Amino acid sequence: MRASLHGFALVLLLALGGGTWAAATETVGQADDADEWDGLPGGPGREEVYGMCSACHSLMIVKQQGLSRDDWAEMMDWMVEEQGMPELDEETLTLIIDYLAEHYGVDRRGAGQP
Amino acid sequence: MAMTKRERGLCELYAEDPERADHLVFGRRAGADRRGFLKGAGLAALGAVVGAALPFHRNYPAGLIPAALAETTEDFKIQGKSGLTLLNDRPLNAETPAHLLDDDVTPVERHFIRNNGIPPENTGAEDWTLKVDGEVSTPLELSIEDLQSRFEVVSLKLQLECGGNGRASFNPPAKGNQWTVGAIANSEWTGVRYADVLKAAGVKDSAVYTGHIGADTHLSGDPEKLPISRGVPLAKAMDPHNLIAFQMNGGPIHPMNGAPLRVVVPGWPGSCSQKWLRRIWVRDQVHDGPKMTGTSYRVPSYPVAPGEKVDKKDFVIIESMPVKSLITFPETGVELSGGAQSLEIRGHAWAGDRAVRQVQVSHDFGATWTEAELSPVPNPYAWQRWRAQIELPQAGYYEVWARATDDQGAMQPFAIAWNPKGYLNNSLHRIALRVTA
Repeated sequence: MRASLHGFALVLLLALGGGTWAAATETVGQADDADEWDGLPGGPGREEVYGMCSACHSLMIVKQQGLSRDDWAEMMDWMVEEQGMPELDEETLTLIIDYLAEHYGVDRRGAGQP
Repeated sequence: MAMTKRERGLCELYAEDPERADHLVFGRRAGADRRGFLKGAGLAALGAVVGAALPFHRNYPAGLIPAALAETTEDFKIQGKSGLTLLNDRPLNAETPAHLLDDDVTPVERHFIRNNGIPPENTGAEDWTLKVDGEVSTPLELSIEDLQSRFEVVSLKLQLECGGNGRASFNPPAKGNQWTVGAIANSEWTGVRYADVLKAAGVKDSAVYTGHIGADTHLSGDPEKLPISRGVPLAKAMDPHNLIAFQMNGGPIHPMNGAPLRVVVPGWPGSCSQKWLRRIWVRDQVHDGPKMTGTSYRVPSYPVAPGEKVDKKDFVIIESMPVKSLITFPETGVELSGGAQSLEIRGHAWAGDRAVRQVQVSHDFGATWTEAELSPVPNPYAWQRWRAQIELPQAGYYEVWARATDDQGAMQPFAIAWNPKGYLNNSLHRIALRVTA
């Protein structure tokens, strides 16, 4: 509850105008590490993944995965065909799949049993 | 005010190029008057994340950070739940650490959550109705009061387990929430028999399967889409232990566990037990709702090698869950002092449609096994309590393993029977113990 009120306050703040927008963004700092992007590591495609994926679901589900490039490509098809994601242009799609395959590939072992 | 991590990331995206950010997040382009025109999937997505339709979407300025996306998972609390591990916050998925599942009857606050979409906001029981239609001679529309007055009300302790429980141990990893061991619960559910309601509606000879429709909405916000709609074959539907439940542990059902009305089909993947139940659609074919088809809740019809590609046509629908057990005491990683000692180990065992015949434990990496004392099942489809006394001969590192065998002789394996979607992992549970002098 606190978090969503917090976010709502931020939107109100930003809605006040461009000057406030600039002030708000200044307070967020310049660092470009993963913490600033909900844990997504830096690299080409990060913004696209952040924007496209978190429009409908949390990035927590993305960050749990460890899939091959083919499986990521299949996942993107499934998102468009069955989950209502808008179809992406080829360039954006490739950028996203490359990013996911590089950072969330099969070398990420599961974290189940001790 | 303190900025959270999530807000900062989104802020940067928007600060750099607000129109591009809008396009990325919602696929919308700013109009000539510098206001965004949300339409199609973008509007639906925005509606989904803020949890409501946007009557004034034309006024929604381009480049404005959507408040609902600026939320954070730090200090994430689910009201009425305690100690759960959050796997995903949108949609909500949370599991229970094994040592918090020690109760015979799982408390409401310890019952895992597996959501596929956005739960309904209004979960009041007063104006809730259930429709039963399709291949029936008398379609029904019933309030919860009607259910209570027309049918016998029964209470049963029932195990509910997510089909993907244990997925986190798959290698290569499988898609989906990376559940470890805690997507299992055994609460006491009160409701009417699912079969009694079907009988009252008069199931026609043409009926072969049921389909469940809940009140949750799709993540994309598209009102035409259901997040999940599964069902069961008629023979399973008629089992007297399936409930249309309106109470959990004698009180209200937790909103995230399907209040005010849900199906409980124990022993089968939890997804058969639709939450926020609105309609039972009796079908003349295998139900084909979302997550019934493709590879959802399906496994290959033959054993496959880890990582093997399997043709979609070779997948079959999962029915009963396999035999399984959990060590709920002590907590894994516990350190015991005082050298050699005797220690009680306990937990639960369950076996889908079957009963558990035996539970054994080992504290020497499976070289020797001790039979646990197994309590009788309080009612079919409840999990069973087991206890064992083990002797730890000296200081050192131990693992305690537990394995159950069902009444048809099937035993939990050590290794995982890998399958592409990461279902049905019933490999034995292990905990770590360290004994110091």
